[in-house]
Amino acid sequence: MSQHLAKPVRRALFAASMPVYLLLYAPLALIAVFSFAPAPGGVAASGFWYAELLHSPGVLAAFRRSLTLALGSSILGTVLGTLMGFGLSRFRTGAKGGFAAALPSLIIYTPIIMPSLVFGISELIFFNLVHRATGFLAAGLLTMGIAHVTFQAPYVALVVFARMAGLDPNLFEASHDLYADARQSFLHLTIPVIRPAIIGGFLLAFTLSIDDFTISYFTAGPGSTTLPIYIYSAVARKGIAPDINALATLMIATVIGIGLLQYVFTRHRERRPMPRVGD
Amino acid sequence: MKSLCSGLTRIALTAAFLGGFLGLPPPAQAAGKTLYLFNWQDYIGKGLLKKYEAHCGCKVVQTYYDSNAALAAKLKAGGDSQFDVVVPSSYYVPQLVHEGLIRKLDKKEIPNFRNLIARFKDPTYDPHDAHSMPYQWGTTGIGYLKTKVSNLPESWAVLFNPKLNPSYPFVLMAGSGRDTIGAACAYLGYGFTCNKKSQWIKAAKLVEKTEKRKNFTGFVDGDPVTGEIKKGTIAIGMTFNGQVAECYDDKSCLNTGYLLPKQGTEIWVDTMAVPTHAPDPKLAYDFINFILSAKAGAELSNFNLYGSPNAASEPMLVAAMKTPLVTPTSAQMKYLYFLPPLAGKKLQEFNAIWTAVRQH
Amino acid sequence: MSTLTEVPILRGTAERAERMARAFRLWITAGPGLGWIVVFLILPSAILLAIGFFSIGNYGNPRLPLTLEPFREVAGYSILGWSPANITTILRSLVQAVSAAGLTILLAYPVVFFITAQPIALRPLLLLFVVLPSWTNQVVRTYAWMELLGPGSGLSHLAQTIGFIPHHLGLLPGIFAMQVGLTYNYLPYMVVPLYAAAEKLDWTLVEAGRDLYASGTKLFWSAVFPQTIPGLLSGIILVAIPAFGDYVVPMLLGGGKSMMIGSLIAAQFLNTPNWPYGAALTIFMLIFTCGGLIVFRVMTKRLGGSEGTMM
Repeated sequence: MSQHLAKPVRRALFAASMPVYLLLYAPLALIAVFSFAPAPGGVAASGFWYAELLHSPGVLAAFRRSLTLALGSSILGTVLGTLMGFGLSRFRTGAKGGFAAALPSLIIYTPIIMPSLVFGISELIFFNLVHRATGFLAAGLLTMGIAHVTFQAPYVALVVFARMAGLDPNLFEASHDLYADARQSFLHLTIPVIRPAIIGGFLLAFTLSIDDFTISYFTAGPGSTTLPIYIYSAVARKGIAPDINALATLMIATVIGIGLLQYVFTRHRERRPMPRVGD
Repeated sequence: MKSLCSGLTRIALTAAFLGGFLGLPPPAQAAGKTLYLFNWQDYIGKGLLKKYEAHCGCKVVQTYYDSNAALAAKLKAGGDSQFDVVVPSSYYVPQLVHEGLIRKLDKKEIPNFRNLIARFKDPTYDPHDAHSMPYQWGTTGIGYLKTKVSNLPESWAVLFNPKLNPSYPFVLMAGSGRDTIGAACAYLGYGFTCNKKSQWIKAAKLVEKTEKRKNFTGFVDGDPVTGEIKKGTIAIGMTFNGQVAECYDDKSCLNTGYLLPKQGTEIWVDTMAVPTHAPDPKLAYDFINFILSAKAGAELSNFNLYGSPNAASEPMLVAAMKTPLVTPTSAQMKYLYFLPPLAGKKLQEFNAIWTAVRQH
Repeated sequence: MSTLTEVPILRGTAERAERMARAFRLWITAGPGLGWIVVFLILPSAILLAIGFFSIGNYGNPRLPLTLEPFREVAGYSILGWSPANITTILRSLVQAVSAAGLTILLAYPVVFFITAQPIALRPLLLLFVVLPSWTNQVVRTYAWMELLGPGSGLSHLAQTIGFIPHHLGLLPGIFAMQVGLTYNYLPYMVVPLYAAAEKLDWTLVEAGRDLYASGTKLFWSAVFPQTIPGLLSGIILVAIPAFGDYVVPMLLGGGKSMMIGSLIAAQFLNTPNWPYGAALTIFMLIFTCGGLIVFRVMTKRLGGSEGTMM
């Protein structure tokens, strides 16, 4: 498409875009720079705050919890989301444009559209009621996980649905002849074919979990302080602080690492030819 | 519809199965007991926690909140059966009692109760010490940056009279609003513990007028204020004495001053209480009793540099504890007041007024 | 799909069996996920909305009897009489959300066309670099600006010198900082849908237009811009809706001054408890959100845009 734009226009676009990229990364970079601020007294070498973090049991526990939460919820969210995306693209019934056909979409879009504050407060009150009535679902990592799955599954479903839409429907017809039942067909044909979407969906779910603060904040319970909540409480209490800069830098580095990894991984996948019936 | 119902049962089963897998809760049920402590951040030293863990042979899991209302919300959201000890402020204790969120204490389990200074026994906010034990106490006052503003009068005028600070950034206290409205009341001559709607409204008007000043930069909680002053990002704000004492101690804020307005200000007690359905009340009592012991009480206050309600701890307190900053003089004590608890219509009135103030 | 009455009875039963089988498979696959969302989000939010019709208890909890009092409060009536504060807060949130959308549009257009002008192999990477910051936590992203905008920062000094803010003060906290935070947080949500539209751009239209119009700007407005409208509309929804109800940005960058609707609602649950009032405000916020969505959906359809990723 590059040939469509005249050279001066392309130069202008470049000149206008670079400041935006700078804007995106400057605040993050600045945190990283400040995380190497000298220790109080200025005796210790730079990197002091990182060493400090490694010796802080609260930070390490919060880190562990964040990972547990993101991993656990992503797995379940991916399972539910994949099934939803697959089922809706293959078996949706009802008249096109009718309510029965639109209802699942409406349900799936609710968590995506719902402002996270409303999401969080609703869950807080709901878990409160359930806990009072039954004794189950006390606030904690479990309730946070349930809430995370609720917003992860729809996104995974969308990713899988998009992949399914790009597939040749004949593929599934043919699989009917190959495999006796639908379950086998799903396991041996569908899953391998949509694997990139599942993996992409899983990574998306993982980053969504890491990104979330508001919903986690309202559904958290005893001993379920995750990294974002830890950082928020510390900022609310102390404002800007070098140890929080170090912690934030670690988080930024991890997320950017995962993002680049996902990029490399999905690119590698895409180079494989897509299986097509009749090739 | 039928398929919907069967769908729901399936979900319930899946949820139950996968929930078990996801769960891992309640955390750390492994070997030994665990004390779940719900506290303000940085309100107990690591060393003291380790000593307690050694003493009880248990693990302490700490979770934090940043306002009394957040504490109440979490207790209602199931926290009353998840935490063993919580640390509400004095004026919030009656509400937690009334809502059935904290239990009546069995004082036989807390023999160190006798260590308390008489002044902290049988307080107005909790008659007969039925539901709470004092943890730390302190004052709310005005913190300021000496290098920018000096020769300040001991008065709320520092905040509310524009002439005293025409240009340097200053803040008022956020949170429940009781301190800020109380301060405005005191400045207007109604006293810090003003209780009438008409007085609150006048105080609110003053706060709203103050908000319009160019150098007013916001409502900030007491804890961060000291840090902001230390860094020089604000010059004046409402904060707590212990915050200032702490950074005097590590000499990181010798540029900061702290004053108690003579029109009256707050003395508060943070207390230890046990939620109604605490998982391990015995352990909770053991922890409270431990904190009320002479040695632990001294270590707690020496770490926080907040007042100790513990008479037995007194000989072990560090010198910084004995300054008028941490322990106000008896002259100052005369104009320090406990915030009266509010409920029902009065609380609604107050909240409506405070919300209106914050929206301006 | 034909209706049952039109087909012979035998074909009808076969078709019905087939349809039942499909429905069964649909429920087995999509059922758990949909049910999960219904149980763990739609039901809870219905409960929250219901609380908006309760009276306020002693400590701000909901209690019977049912009442419309909370909605009177939303309209501005309180113990103090009527005040325009709520309207101001809602308007302020709207203005901030719309400005955030506007600012992200201004920032996104050059980036999007810069990316589409690059070789195909490079584009995903350039897009990824726009999206990556949004994968770190929102608290971290917002916190990052506290350092940059705080009093004493270089930017604040600059703003003081040009007279944008008085001396001794900083760009933080306040409306300006919130606007920066919202724009920064939601920029990728504008870039991604715009990019999707720009990548599908029909350049033959542009080529044709090149002969007709003299200036580049005219060419842009008549041949390029209309084609990006569907992406633009999705982008506006993706930015304005979450920005309208944002919680973290007003908490960290607003300094408790000039509340937004998100912080006002949160305060009803965390600071000055009044659950029914908070729930009534939530209903109001959702009405705004849904209203905005419907308007934009209708606009998208009118303008003939595809529904993008809509399922």
